[in-house]
Amino acid sequence: MNDEVIGVENLVKYFDGRCVLDGIHLSIPKGCIYGLLGRNGAGKTTMIRILLGLEPATRGQTSLLGVESTNLPTKVRGRIGTVAEGHNLIQNYRVGRLIKLCKDLSLQWNDEFFSHLIETFRLPTDRRVRELSVGMRAQLNLALAMATDPELLILDDPTLGLDTVARRQFLELAIEIIQKQGRTILFSSHILSDVERIADRVGILAAGKLVVDCPLEQLKQRVKKLRVIFAGSAPTNLYLTEIINQQIDGREMALTVANWNEQKRALLETFKPSSCIDVPMSLEDIFIECTRPIGASVNGG
Amino acid sequence: MKSVTHYRIQVLTTGFIVLLFFSLLLFCIRFLCEISLFEITPSDARTIGIQPSGLVPPELENDPNVVHHSFVGADLYRHSMMYLGFFDYVITRSPEGRRSNVYFIESDEKYMYLDKKSGQLLYRDIDSQTMPDRSVQLKRIQSYAGPEGISEMPNQTFGRFDDPIVEQSRSRRYRIVYHKKQQRFFGIDFDRATVTKGPDIGKKYPDYKPIQTGLLYKNPVAPKISWVPPRIKAIDEKVNQQDSRMDQRVPKPIIPSSVHSDAGPYLLVLDQSGRIDLLDRQTLDVAGTAGWLPGPETYFGTKPSVTPKDLLSYTVQPLVLNKFYRDDGTIREMSFGDLDDSERWSIDSRIDREYLGMYAASVSRNGTAMALAVFNAEGKRTDTEYTRLPLHGGRHTSYLRSTKATFWNSPGAPALTIGKFLVENLHPPALSIVSYFTASTFEAGAGHRALFLLPNSFVAMISRDYQENWAEKFATTLWWILPSIILAIWLACRVGKDATIAGFPPNARRRWIVGTVAFGLPAYITYKLTRPKVTLVTCANCGKLRRPDMEKCHQCNSPWHIPERTPPNWRVLNGIEEIPHQSSTETNAQE
Amino acid sequence: MFTLIKREIQDHLLYLIGSVVLAAILIIVLISFVFQEGTRTDWDDLIAPVIPIAIIIMLGFCAMGVSQMYTDRNRRVSAFVSTLPVTRTQILFARIATGILTILILLVPLVVTITILIRWFESPIPMYAGIVFDISSTTFLMIFASYCIGLLTGWNPSKVIPTFGALALTCILVPLVIIKGFGWEIAMLLVAFIAALLIRTWQTFTSTPL
Repeated sequence: MNDEVIGVENLVKYFDGRCVLDGIHLSIPKGCIYGLLGRNGAGKTTMIRILLGLEPATRGQTSLLGVESTNLPTKVRGRIGTVAEGHNLIQNYRVGRLIKLCKDLSLQWNDEFFSHLIETFRLPTDRRVRELSVGMRAQLNLALAMATDPELLILDDPTLGLDTVARRQFLELAIEIIQKQGRTILFSSHILSDVERIADRVGILAAGKLVVDCPLEQLKQRVKKLRVIFAGSAPTNLYLTEIINQQIDGREMALTVANWNEQKRALLETFKPSSCIDVPMSLEDIFIECTRPIGASVNGG
Repeated sequence: MKSVTHYRIQVLTTGFIVLLFFSLLLFCIRFLCEISLFEITPSDARTIGIQPSGLVPPELENDPNVVHHSFVGADLYRHSMMYLGFFDYVITRSPEGRRSNVYFIESDEKYMYLDKKSGQLLYRDIDSQTMPDRSVQLKRIQSYAGPEGISEMPNQTFGRFDDPIVEQSRSRRYRIVYHKKQQRFFGIDFDRATVTKGPDIGKKYPDYKPIQTGLLYKNPVAPKISWVPPRIKAIDEKVNQQDSRMDQRVPKPIIPSSVHSDAGPYLLVLDQSGRIDLLDRQTLDVAGTAGWLPGPETYFGTKPSVTPKDLLSYTVQPLVLNKFYRDDGTIREMSFGDLDDSERWSIDSRIDREYLGMYAASVSRNGTAMALAVFNAEGKRTDTEYTRLPLHGGRHTSYLRSTKATFWNSPGAPALTIGKFLVENLHPPALSIVSYFTASTFEAGAGHRALFLLPNSFVAMISRDYQENWAEKFATTLWWILPSIILAIWLACRVGKDATIAGFPPNARRRWIVGTVAFGLPAYITYKLTRPKVTLVTCANCGKLRRPDMEKCHQCNSPWHIPERTPPNWRVLNGIEEIPHQSSTETNAQE
Repeated sequence: MFTLIKREIQDHLLYLIGSVVLAAILIIVLISFVFQEGTRTDWDDLIAPVIPIAIIIMLGFCAMGVSQMYTDRNRRVSAFVSTLPVTRTQILFARIATGILTILILLVPLVVTITILIRWFESPIPMYAGIVFDISSTTFLMIFASYCIGLLTGWNPSKVIPTFGALALTCILVPLVIIKGFGWEIAMLLVAFIAALLIRTWQTFTSTPL
């Protein structure tokens, strides 16, 4: 794909014999706002670090802007803006010095925009980075990432530590960037309302696999939660595939199914349910269902 | 392929670093063992003497008044630090050193050196002249001497001496210089401002390669030669004045002896083969052979003669008898050794200088053995002695070679010898074998500075000195490095087993085994440092441990059929409603 | 690259200043010694104090290498800088360039001073011309090798290995100049050794997760 900005091919990562990522395939085209979701320890940060070349993959390949992650030349790096998890900045530098360093090393620098951000966030330039609060560090990190006017923005939990106002400001900034043609964002977050607001595609990591990778609207269509009431006791086996979750309580069954389609509906109808109600799900609901541990869900046959 | 190349570079660089540090450590331990061994060597095993020397004319040696015959002796010293590179560098490059172009320097105005720009010898001195009014006038002398002439300023027409061999002598005003390219000698008289050209030596002797002329020595502090003329009992008047005892007779030389640095009418020339020739000072032609450097008795054998390269040090001293004649032809007096300047201006009508012969002492490569040989005026060896330790056993006294005495015959020596042996066996076997084959190529002094190869090891000694056939020699060598080989094989087995577990492909495993057999402990350390630090996981196919960074199991060659974790059996991907390809195991689990 | 070098210099300014101060002290001591002795200067007398001073300098530069890598690792400097348009190779090159610069700041004035003093106070014959080059080049390589040992051992999360490991390895390296002396032989050995150290450092630095 010519406009593939982020490519991940069969990515596997082990840490001390423990498999974190088990064969991830991902392709993010240009202009996409991709929200990467997953529970704690799912491997989101690991995947982002591998993409940025900060961590080697155990197997598989990753690429950014068409170039292998392990070999990113400076010209390509200059087109990428990054906010790493934990807002990894040089702690003993003064803010002013850090800004100068980034400015001198960057291939392009939007001074006006950056000054506007610094003013908006009210960041002191004479203080050391370690003397800033977590939130201020996050703001500084964001400002530094965005000042380079990047083609690709990779954000690992960028709103971690931000207060509500700052979070809103970030979202507005992100939207502003989105409106610029051709910009791509990959971000991970635990605040799903934010993701829902700006992402046009989402991916969910679970058990080392990318179990969801589709446009957000499509996800809401394809993952269905149904409340089904039967005349008698609810059958244990509906002969449906791709059941995410199934809970039976007497005659009532709560059923979450992936890739809901007419075929599956027809199959369900054969059990002659008394009623079948569509339960609306937010992204958060879908996320909780999709990342439920397998033992806690019932697989249909 | 890139990772393979990276890994090879990693191994080579780490291996070199490990080898260097390892060699440095072993060198220090070996050095300490060797100097300790020498320090505790019995003094009897470090001294030799020949009495009578065999060079004094019989009428003098056998004079009835002689109470002590002439004696030539040599003492073996070892200044171990001198052979180390740092000190060797400083000493050899200091003025009058082996690698210096300054042949003498007395002050800022009295010196001689080779001016590399002009390629000519520059001599500067100060002459004092007594004027008629008895005042002393100082005259500065400056001469540039080339093969074709001599003048006060450099003159290109006088040619160049490129890397000449300049006579080492006490004389300042006259030097004999060997021109390597032209293969001839030149006599430069700075007093008379003349340059005498000798005949082309190369035509007569095509293999002639002088390396030193005049004072022949290498690391002169190691064999300290002393020559004592025959002594007669004589009254010491000084004692009589101080003491009331009369007739205090102390031995004094039958004829006086001074420093022995020149060979009278000849110049001693040392050839790179170890042969010492006599060069006629007048004709500047080779007049005959004076002798050769004797080979010391080493641990494994003795060679009759050796080259200068094979010796840690040597000293050669000529013996000259000077006869001073009166006008009537009778001898006024005689002396041994050099003529000092005052004697040149004596009232004697004639001075004859008769070359009697020379004695040469040489020290073996490892500095534990010395040989002293006496050569007569015809160049025939008349006597040779070696450093040996006398072992008194009852009525008979046997003699043990000083090398063996050094290694075994002092308290603590066996432990130090075994220590040296073990340290040599920690060295990589491949380098020990290379040391065997290159034993003779190293210059003796350089051998004391070698890090990776061991020119002074037992293995190298066998190669150089063992007199048996090559097969027996090599077998003996293997026997001496057997501990090293056993250690290397044991380590190679460990490396092989671990490499299998670590998932190395068979070729890489074989290379590591061969490398460890060849390089022993440094290779093992390198392996440990460069071994991929990967936690192995259990293969779902064969149940053995496999590397997660390899596509196929290195034990059973199976790919990754089964996911490492248990993922859900559904996917919501990119508009595709089907689950990506599943294995049969996954499908069965679902059912 | 200039920005990276500037950053390294600012972060390790202490070593540069130390280098300048040490060079100044050594030059003053040398000049006062030579002026005191005058034309009777026995250059051999300088050899004895040179050895301990050289060892201290080697250990100092080893410490500089350790400090550069250890502080980077612990403060995660490269982890941040490598997200900018900069490769890890460039970061390492800048670091090494700073080290070389610091060494040259110490050695070059010293060598120039010695050369001038030799010309002033020695006899007119060129006795020591080659010696000055040999000794200064060997000294530079030995110091640089110690620095490279520091770089290699400093990239370690623990405190023990960088401190004691670097110290031990440098102490093992010191006898090399006693054993081999000066000249082309030790220069070749040191160049190969330095190349191996730098390649190894580069491989470790570029492959370790940041």
